[in-house]
Amino acid sequence: MINYLKSENYRILHRKSLYLTTAIFFLLITGAAFCLYFFSSVDADFRYGTSSFFYSNVIGMGIQIIIISYLYNSILTGKDIMLTKQAISFGISRSVIFWSKLLVTLGYFLLVCAAGLLLMIGLGQSLFAEDQGVVSNFFIASFNMLPIVLSGFILIHALKMLKIADIYNIIIVAVIYIFFDDVLLLIFRQVNGLNELYTFAPGALLTDNLMHFMNQSVQLDYRYWVTGAVISIIALWIGAGRFTKQDMD
Amino acid sequence: MSAVIQTYTLTKKFKQEEVIKPLDFSVGKGEICALIGKNGAGKSTIFKMLAGQLTPTTGEIYLFGKSGKEMMQAKKRMGFMIETPVFFPDFTAIQNLEYFRIQRGVAEKKRIYDVLEIVGLANQKKKKFREYSMGMKQRLGIALSLLSSPDCLVLDEPINGLDAEGITEIRRLLIRLNQEKQITILISSHILTELQLLATRFVFIKNGVIVEDVSKQLLDEKSRKQIHLKVDDTAKTAQLLERTYEDIQYKSLPDQVITIQNHIEKAGEINRLLIKNDVLVMEFRLEALNLEGYFLGLVEGGGEK
Repeated sequence: MINYLKSENYRILHRKSLYLTTAIFFLLITGAAFCLYFFSSVDADFRYGTSSFFYSNVIGMGIQIIIISYLYNSILTGKDIMLTKQAISFGISRSVIFWSKLLVTLGYFLLVCAAGLLLMIGLGQSLFAEDQGVVSNFFIASFNMLPIVLSGFILIHALKMLKIADIYNIIIVAVIYIFFDDVLLLIFRQVNGLNELYTFAPGALLTDNLMHFMNQSVQLDYRYWVTGAVISIIALWIGAGRFTKQDMD
Repeated sequence: MSAVIQTYTLTKKFKQEEVIKPLDFSVGKGEICALIGKNGAGKSTIFKMLAGQLTPTTGEIYLFGKSGKEMMQAKKRMGFMIETPVFFPDFTAIQNLEYFRIQRGVAEKKRIYDVLEIVGLANQKKKKFREYSMGMKQRLGIALSLLSSPDCLVLDEPINGLDAEGITEIRRLLIRLNQEKQITILISSHILTELQLLATRFVFIKNGVIVEDVSKQLLDEKSRKQIHLKVDDTAKTAQLLERTYEDIQYKSLPDQVITIQNHIEKAGEINRLLIKNDVLVMEFRLEALNLEGYFLGLVEGGGEK
């Protein structure tokens, strides 16, 4: 497994797309910060030139971050899955391939996210008037988002490894992360004890997180981790299980 | 001879179609075994099952005498090249091989340059894979299969897309590897004349079934000579032949062609027999078969005795 991890690391470090997507990601963050800064300096009535609004762009973009993670996974892995045939022919187990690819890609994704977060805080603190306790709230809200985003990344990895067509991947991700709360609400609203189940759906949790962040009342909440863990475990169970039996034709 | 590759009642079904019927097959150490069949005969499916890319529906595979989980270790002694080689398009040959060198735990980086030299890509090593011609891609595929210094090579269409010079080079390389390093080779190709120059054993496959398995020596004997006839009435000819020569071996081919594999010395007598019975003989000649002719006779033949 170590050799496979090392080779995956070599692959990612030698891909231009890693540097390109990361640069675009950081430029967008910086560009957004300077836009807000520019408008707040030319227009005294501009209400959005605050660090809390700047940070809320991340907290409110959970779904978009999952979509970015989808693109990130596609760019970094994409058609490279075809090359797993060569590794299988060499006797590397499919389970090693599945987990190694996940660990390395996820590792780089988290690294870029962490760097992006620090860049945001740096820009937020230096360009905008400081709101009381906003950085710690931003950290808490980001920490709440983390398991949901992680579960999205893991789900996408599993779907990609199973070579499911992009259109189905997008539908699956959209159903789970955008519409699932409405579906649960519709199904269980009349069922006593289950009528609150929808609050565990990723979409509802991300909206809740944003609301609390904006109200400065955000707190660490176990529900994000429960939901993230459930989605991740199911995705890994199905993904790793099916990948080990799948024909690589 | 110890078997490097051995399969027992190996089958593969895609949906309900059984593309490989129970297959018992082995390749002995030091052999160059050619797997020959038409498109869709099941060659690539067999190769892919050996490589682990496809899971057999039933049956067992042994590589170097190991099966199941132990076979994963045995695979490290094998080099596979199955169908068109796939590499990272934006990586150079060196970067592509470096990725696999790390993955396979090949200690010496020099090995990359050695295999590129062996396949004649030393001067193109810094070119990106996507800029490679088909032939160069094939060579890189062969280089990869040699990277971990294997004891057995499994090559599916390795000379596809190569020019005449490249084909000769690869043939010489494979013969050299086989003779100098006793590397066992299982190979398939549509260029049967090349296989005839290379292989020591020929396995013919049709619709997922082995129809013939012959050594080079036996094949040379079998394909030495035959009588080629083109007649106006193949049914009548077949009837006459069977009636006159009890042990006659013949094949009825398309285009009113009949080939006779024995009684070669009675060619004149056969000719007379047909003319006497009002069979119009449009062609009558003695011919020596090459592998292609033998293959066609075997897998495309109509009536046969």
